[in-house]
Amino acid sequence: MQWTKRDTKQYLPEKEYVDTVLIPIISFDPASDNKMTKEAFQRELNQVFATLIEKEFKGRIFLSPEYYYLTNQHESEIPRVNQWVEHFQKQPFEHVFLFTFDAKWKKYESDLNGHLLWIPGIADGDLQSTETQSFVKEQVKQVNELIQAYW
Amino acid sequence: MSDKQRVSRRQFLNYTLTGVGGFMAAGMLAPMVRFAIDPVLTPQAAGEFHSVAPVEEITNEPQRFEWQVEQVDAWYESKVQKTAWVYRNKDDEIVALSPICTHLGCTVGWASNQEYPNQFYCPCHGGRYTKDGVNVPGTPPTAPLPVYKTKVQENMLYLGETQSRQGA
Ligand code: FES
Repeated sequence: MQWTKRDTKQYLPEKEYVDTVLIPIISFDPASDNKMTKEAFQRELNQVFATLIEKEFKGRIFLSPEYYYLTNQHESEIPRVNQWVEHFQKQPFEHVFLFTFDAKWKKYESDLNGHLLWIPGIADGDLQSTETQSFVKEQVKQVNELIQAYW
Repeated sequence: MSDKQRVSRRQFLNYTLTGVGGFMAAGMLAPMVRFAIDPVLTPQAAGEFHSVAPVEEITNEPQRFEWQVEQVDAWYESKVQKTAWVYRNKDDEIVALSPICTHLGCTVGWASNQEYPNQFYCPCHGGRYTKDGVNVPGTPPTAPLPVYKTKVQENMLYLGETQSRQGA
């Protein structure tokens, strides 16, 4: 399910079946010329992943609006991330996944109230190329298996 | 309120509504006319078929095939990935099933659960379907997997729209 009118309408009466939420966690820094392109690519890649995962598990996973934060501000973001998680848990969502390519979250994993789903992703590439696409598909498959391991 | 006033208000409303209706009708007609005049301009016309796989690749075991279609959804035009489970049945006919679980829309897999090697299995809530796509009673789905319209031309399999089926 996605954060759209159509899906939320379907979600509400069926919420007992939709017990998992996926929150994409995406960093960006509009002040930095040299990070901009890379971060924009990571954002697109994150969206591709999130959409593919949601499509596979539409009836059980709710895809949250993206959580954006300024690059390298992890510590100060923790309370806000946890606030998001808390609000989702009120639904109630039983499993909360925080999906990111930012390895630095690993250090704070134990402070986060959701399961951190960190994967290396790819540093750079062309989302349209067939190599990238088959690579992403393979990775998504693995993430899907990981998610199922929690169910 | 005097009668005269009421009539004129109603007339006024009538005029405006006719105007709006006229616009709406024109808005609806214009694309229809275009459809009729130039079918080439309308890649999204209903009933369109897409080439999916060479027929010789189709076996008795369901295989997953993917293809892309352009989808115009109100304001967005986007590429959408479509998927089908395709196989030949006992009568040698090609069957193409939608992988979208009729319960809440997860993607089902063929033989993806070891306990049910001859069924489609939904990872979300354990929905199951027999090989012909009919839902197994007692599992969450209440209708069979929709089937795609199929067409074979020059040894290529083309798939069209999906059709829903009645529940088991
Ligand atoms: S979505 Fe397939 S069983 Fe619920």
